[in-house]
Amino acid sequence: MERSRSLTRLAAVVAELLLACGCGRRAREVVVYTSVDQVFSEPVFRAFERESGIPVRAVFDTEETKSTGALNRLIAESANPQADVFWSGDPVRPFLLIKRGLVEPYLSRQAQDLPPGLRGADGSWTGVAARARVLLVNRKLVPAQETPRSIRDLADPRWKGKAAIANPLFGTTTMHVAALFAKWGDEPARAFLDALKANGVRIASSNGEVKRLVVAGEVAFGLTDTDDANEARKEGADVEVVHPDADELGALVMPTAVVLMAKGPHPDAGRKLVDYLLSAEAERQMAAAAAHMPLRPGVPTPQGVLRVSDIRAMDVDYARVAEEMERIQPWLRQWAGL
Amino acid sequence: MGRPLRAALRRHEQELVLALAAAALCTVGVAPFASLLVREGTAWLNASTPLVSSGALSLLLRSLVLSALVTLLALALGMPLGVLVGRTDVRGLWPASLLHAFPAFLPPFLLALGWFHLFGVSGLLGSEATSRALFSDVGVVFVLALAFTPIVTCLVALGIQGVDPGLEEAARVVAKPSRVVTRILIPAAAPAWILAAIVIFTLSFSELGVPMFLRVDTFPAAVFSRLGGVDYAPGEALALVLPLVPFALLLLAAERRFVGTRSYAVFGLRSRRQDRLGLGRWRPAASAALWLAALLSVAPIAALAWRALSGGGLAEAGRWMGRAPWNSLSSSAVAATAIVGIGLVVGHATARRLRGAAALDSAAVLAFVAPAAVLGIGLISLWNRPALQWVYGSTGILVVGYVARYAVIGVRTIGSLIAQTPLHVEEAAAAAGAGFWRRLTRILLPLHARGVGFAWLLALVFCLRDLELAVLYYPPGGEPLTVRLFTLEANGPESVVAALAVVQVTMTAAVLGAGGFLLRRRAT
Repeated sequence: MERSRSLTRLAAVVAELLLACGCGRRAREVVVYTSVDQVFSEPVFRAFERESGIPVRAVFDTEETKSTGALNRLIAESANPQADVFWSGDPVRPFLLIKRGLVEPYLSRQAQDLPPGLRGADGSWTGVAARARVLLVNRKLVPAQETPRSIRDLADPRWKGKAAIANPLFGTTTMHVAALFAKWGDEPARAFLDALKANGVRIASSNGEVKRLVVAGEVAFGLTDTDDANEARKEGADVEVVHPDADELGALVMPTAVVLMAKGPHPDAGRKLVDYLLSAEAERQMAAAAAHMPLRPGVPTPQGVLRVSDIRAMDVDYARVAEEMERIQPWLRQWAGL
Repeated sequence: MGRPLRAALRRHEQELVLALAAAALCTVGVAPFASLLVREGTAWLNASTPLVSSGALSLLLRSLVLSALVTLLALALGMPLGVLVGRTDVRGLWPASLLHAFPAFLPPFLLALGWFHLFGVSGLLGSEATSRALFSDVGVVFVLALAFTPIVTCLVALGIQGVDPGLEEAARVVAKPSRVVTRILIPAAAPAWILAAIVIFTLSFSELGVPMFLRVDTFPAAVFSRLGGVDYAPGEALALVLPLVPFALLLLAAERRFVGTRSYAVFGLRSRRQDRLGLGRWRPAASAALWLAALLSVAPIAALAWRALSGGGLAEAGRWMGRAPWNSLSSSAVAATAIVGIGLVVGHATARRLRGAAALDSAAVLAFVAPAAVLGIGLISLWNRPALQWVYGSTGILVVGYVARYAVIGVRTIGSLIAQTPLHVEEAAAAAGAGFWRRLTRILLPLHARGVGFAWLLALVFCLRDLELAVLYYPPGGEPLTVRLFTLEANGPESVVAALAVVQVTMTAAVLGAGGFLLRRRAT
């Protein structure tokens, strides 16, 4: 008898836990997938919740699969879309969704004062708060006069075994490599990557790891993103941030990109979140917390954070970069040994 | 219900219950792979070229070598420690054993993070040389071997406690204690340490978090690159899994050959107490060795705690934690209950060698051995449907994944327990009119309540420490704590990440403490 009471109690607890697990879709909420670092994006979602009263349920990427983990999940779930919004850490991944017909074009009124060149004309994607690819240099290891100024310095024998990049199969490094293929063509770009390998460039698991390697002095300099470089500065590390190739190629600029997903479960709430992510307020938050460069002229930037107009930006067509990115993957995997 | 139908149901009760459990096991553990196969059509068949051409084969060999080294090192450390813990009068046995065993219940990625705070360049004991060693093959072997050594220690300790005391007493009449240990106890406990070797080899082979964190390429990373890279290619990922199938079957055959149902001794359920071997003048040295192992085990946890405290992360942890601990606990508790339910029925079938039981057991083992990334994508392919939204859109999908991957724990643990019960106990109950379900729940379950409780606890802790599977498909806003740790690790303040790791450690310790307390109460 006592045993059956115990079993009943156990069943009750299990049922309670199952109920607590949640029951799938709720009417008033919005689901967002993002490859913007959780530490920066989550406070923006919380601010949206406070302003709109709409709860946000988010899926974040890991540093190692940055930009592609969430993207691939969107593709894998395309038969029954779960997400209303994709907030991409770069402007290239959305093209992979657009190509598959997974995007609902939406011209947000908040995008009116954003530069027209950094968004899809039909509203399929809209660029906002940007990052750039930079060289992060350890000042203790590199004298000022020897500071590397170009990404080509990664392949310079002077720095053999003393430089780092993130794994080019993932994250913004993939986009950067694809941009080089688009700008230089196949042969020069492949030769450059082979030269990196021959020069013993360390392949870190992520851009954050590149920052760690530079700050710790394990390498003299590395190629990373402005937000990671800014973290190094906030930690008080003795580093210099170099926007590379100011006299030639220019630095790769990567606005974050906001996309409304087609057939999302909460389209109205999704549009509201898109509006918010494209707002001046969200740009201000991203500039203050994550050193992103605002695309609107009026948004203030913290000390040390430049505007896109202050640097020489690489002239690239993001749609073309997206095509290159897909095309070069087999070769890149071979290069990476995976 | 008509009488004939009721009679038929009663006659076939065992087959029906087993069919239900088998259906549950196959739905969660086999169907995801089948769904992926169907969805990918023949793409996976045509995708065999990357296996040969892209160096994946050399990564496979490299992973096999690394896993073998981890296993050998863990055995070398764990076997003597197991003997010390299991049969000697070493000082401070219980506290040292608990400290030593605890890290086995934590995600290895978390331990790697702790070692980074110790031996990274800016770590407490770090230098360029230690950092270089940590971020290398050597570092991966070191971190994983230390993480898994407690598995050997515990299984060997329990194994030699289960050795027939008569054998040992006879040997002690004519031989020195050291000879008794090497010639009697360790060979007699072979099923335990062979099982430990197989488990460790499997765990280290499928480990993704530690090699990725320490920047060492392994085979699971090659599989992951087909799913986490730009050219999303689940068919290729599936093709890469193919070589693992014969390999897993080989492990299974080895396990059947060397362990089989003899593993019952490892559950320490012998009632007769044995005198511990006196170490004599070796006692201080042996005690020091055990305590050194305990300190090595907790060193990375201490480093995480230090980082959390020194950077003020603990004060911030609440803000960043969200509902993640609750998500972890609730989904793991439900999954552990389901695992025990399936384990009770399928474990019984394997113990009694019923038809089809071996196939179900193999399916559970394969789901455990297969790379988590492929299982995860299979789960998305199978469960992401409008009709199943109530599961896929909630933490229910975490439960499904945990049951798929860790069902083997319930099947094996409970199967070994039931194998100890003489068949005539069940036969007598059946002769008295008890049906299968009644025999299972009124005789076997009460008889092995403590062991089943242990299986539930073990399954719960394995679910709590899962990262590789959940990270692929956790529901929006429903991430477990391990995933939150992993996603915040990118640019999150180090002290906050360390503080969340401390929360994970505390949660696991609390669960184990409470479970251990309840199981001990049941035993007294």
